[in-house]
Amino acid sequence: MIQEFVSSWHLFQHSYLAGWLIAILLSLIGVLVVARNQIFLGAAVSQASTLGIALAIWLGESLLPSALSELTGATLAPAMAVVFSVAAAILTTGRGEEGQETPEAVTGWVFLLSASGAILIVSHSPIGLDEVQRLLSSSIIGATAPDVWVLGGLAALTALFFGLFHQRLLLFSLDPAMAAAVGLNLAFWGLASSAWLGLAVGLSIRVSGMLYTFGCLVLPALIAKNLCREVRTMFLLSPVIALGTGIFGFILAHRFDFPPAQMTVALLNLFLCLTWIFRRYR
Amino acid sequence: MGNRVFLFQTVDLSVAYGRRQVLREVNLVVSPGEFWFFLGPNGVGKTTCLKTLLGELRPRQGRILFHPELFRRHRLGFVPQRCDLNPTLPTTVREFVQLGLVGLQSGARERSDSLAFALKQAGLEGMADRDYWALSGGQRQKALVARALVRRPRVLLLDEPTKGLDLATEEGVMEALADLNQREGLTPVFVTHDLSLAARYASHVALFYDGCVHPGPASANLTPEELERTFGVPVAVTREESGRVTVSIERSKDIL
Repeated sequence: MIQEFVSSWHLFQHSYLAGWLIAILLSLIGVLVVARNQIFLGAAVSQASTLGIALAIWLGESLLPSALSELTGATLAPAMAVVFSVAAAILTTGRGEEGQETPEAVTGWVFLLSASGAILIVSHSPIGLDEVQRLLSSSIIGATAPDVWVLGGLAALTALFFGLFHQRLLLFSLDPAMAAAVGLNLAFWGLASSAWLGLAVGLSIRVSGMLYTFGCLVLPALIAKNLCREVRTMFLLSPVIALGTGIFGFILAHRFDFPPAQMTVALLNLFLCLTWIFRRYR
Repeated sequence: MGNRVFLFQTVDLSVAYGRRQVLREVNLVVSPGEFWFFLGPNGVGKTTCLKTLLGELRPRQGRILFHPELFRRHRLGFVPQRCDLNPTLPTTVREFVQLGLVGLQSGARERSDSLAFALKQAGLEGMADRDYWALSGGQRQKALVARALVRRPRVLLLDEPTKGLDLATEEGVMEALADLNQREGLTPVFVTHDLSLAARYASHVALFYDGCVHPGPASANLTPEELERTFGVPVAVTREESGRVTVSIERSKDIL
């Protein structure tokens, strides 16, 4: 089985590598999302990113001259994906000031607006509709070498950043009052963590689609939560679980001819159920 | 007032939520070794004042001056009323308390010593490896105190930390603070509604009412007139020969 998988490496190496790097990248950030109990935020940010891509497709087809459209197509869609996901992350990570809407309500609004808007915008464009449906159903096949480099760089930076600042990030996420008391600039950390989440989701979603992105963001961290005694070990275990499951999932998918993103997310779900049982009887 | 050595000082501090002014022209000087109580009814801005001192809220006007020792609030501790930690997250007492060290440059040995010091002062000695969620409510409150003490603060801001605690636990927390105040020169700033606690432990009291703050020594502020003006009900203050002060609400047909 492994030999068969290795033999497919030259055909799909960029897709495999991109998928595994996304798993590492998002599973690290996912620890903060899970720690803040903002699981649905991941879905909303992913969906907002899809809206950005749909808008980019529509702009390219409707407004830009065809020659320019082709030139900008490669950069406009990823840029719009990142801009929309960063904006959604910033919008949804507020703390719900007195008299304002709760973050949960804003998250729900972002999700529903993006879900309906993305389809409506491209509904008269066969290519656009096809692309949005591909994103929603998730397919990692089609990643390129530049995608691998970009995701690899971002994953390395994220790992370095979390290694250096995980305690600050955790304190900011868990107890802002205490974080302010120890001198952390809440506005800066709020903006930085939201922008980082938005950037990671925005870059991942175009390569892997919504299901894989959302799955890698929350499932490994949830599994790690059931296995660890401390949050700091979740930062280590979550990417290990994501990468391990990603490798196993891709091998199984290749062997039995299943879509790799769906196989990996299904395996993560299975592991989560097992760890729920483990935690209950520990 | 101008020549007093201060740990922090507010100068004409005004704070608002949107258009709603909560505090205006607060002038407060807190010096080393004092034991401050912020007293007042609900919604008069005690916690808002604390949040502003912590840097969580920005003053609309005025400023806060910190002693160089409190530069960037490094030696400022904070004990919230409760902790909003996600209850499904796994954490130990050690990890929880060590979150208080964020932002400090210290070696592993120093961190370990600070942890041991904080746990001992809070009465949680030997519990470092315990699951935080297996602690009782009182022990969790002590863990919050330990998390603040782990920075070895000069000033400790406490937002109703004894609310909901049983008498024995409350006594334990208060005695630990009084001990730190006397032995280590820690300056607690305590927000509470509990007048009897203030009467027992306060060296200074800031009374909050009508958006204003009236700070002063406990002997000057814990009087029936000042407390009635603050709380809007008659308050009896009894000073015993031993020096012990008791404060209680007077029975009045107007209140009943």
